Amino acid sequence: MADPTAPERRSPLAHRSPIAAERDAVRLAEIPFLTKHILRVDPEIGAAAVKSALGLDLPQEPLTSSRSNETACLWLGPDEWMIVGQDNGAAGLAKELAQEHFQLTDVSDYYTEVEVSGPRAREALMKLTTLDIHPRAFQAGQVAGSLFGHANAWLWLTGESDDDGPTFRLIVRWSMADYLWCLLAECGREWGMPEEQPVAGEALLQASAQSL
Amino acid sequence: MFVIKCPNCGERDLSEFSYGGEAHISRPEWRDEMSDTEWAEFVFMRTNPKGVFAERWNHAAGCRRWFNMLRNTATDDILAVYGMGEEPPEVTANLPATPSGEAAIGSGNDEAKVIDAGDAADGGGGA
Repeated sequence: MADPTAPERRSPLAHRSPIAAERDAVRLAEIPFLTKHILRVDPEIGAAAVKSALGLDLPQEPLTSSRSNETACLWLGPDEWMIVGQDNGAAGLAKELAQEHFQLTDVSDYYTEVEVSGPRAREALMKLTTLDIHPRAFQAGQVAGSLFGHANAWLWLTGESDDDGPTFRLIVRWSMADYLWCLLAECGREWGMPEEQPVAGEALLQASAQSL
Repeated sequence: MFVIKCPNCGERDLSEFSYGGEAHISRPEWRDEMSDTEWAEFVFMRTNPKGVFAERWNHAAGCRRWFNMLRNTATDDILAVYGMGEEPPEVTANLPATPSGEAAIGSGNDEAKVIDAGDAADGGGGA
């Protein structure tokens, strides 16, 4: 039996299980525990290091990203990127940049990712944000920071297929994750998404303890 | 509702931005003797024009970078967006005359509003 006093790793949406609207028009799921690092460096110095350590091009165009297998590099600002993946190779990158002026911060536990997918995912998200996410303005690989309801989040369009629609990821602060989850469920109500009630405080602790 | 063109992210809604007050105000060079008037000028005194105004904005929900903007406070037209540390570009603004024929700068009774910086320091009772 597991040691009851041992700390448990618990994602911010551990008390939620994936939900979907009728005929999978919109689906919601948390992608917990991805390793995330924020890299801040002069792009000219960073590009070579990211290339050799991660095998990725450092995206220098605003609102773009680069990706290979499970590791991705997202543009957040002119000298700021997020490196995200299961094992994102940040240790190698830090070694590569050791002689340079840079900052690499582990933010894995600051953020979680919520995946919004399905043929109606675009329409559902359009209800939440002022960002222009029409296909002509927001294409696969693009990343944009914006407001979703009251929550600050980065929206990343990881891919798009003709029959299953777009797959978005919302990278959101831990503390805003449950709020955003409920709001996204509300946006999907039009297509039959189940209602989700916000859980906070003591109830949240109990709910996530039960989910283990 | 405003749409502001962030130099990095492009056109975004006003709700993503936060306002940073008047632009191009630099901290005075430190000297041993500095008067309250001089500090007050830097800390408190801002122009409040009716017309072209240079101001700072931060794209708080997006790239979180600062930039400068020229805005016509009379019409809320955004006349130019330029980077930090850059000089404001030349612009032409539409300055509508008001029914009462106020001056382009300020409004109301300008005569009563003019404050001499020296008077303000004497009467301020500052520390």
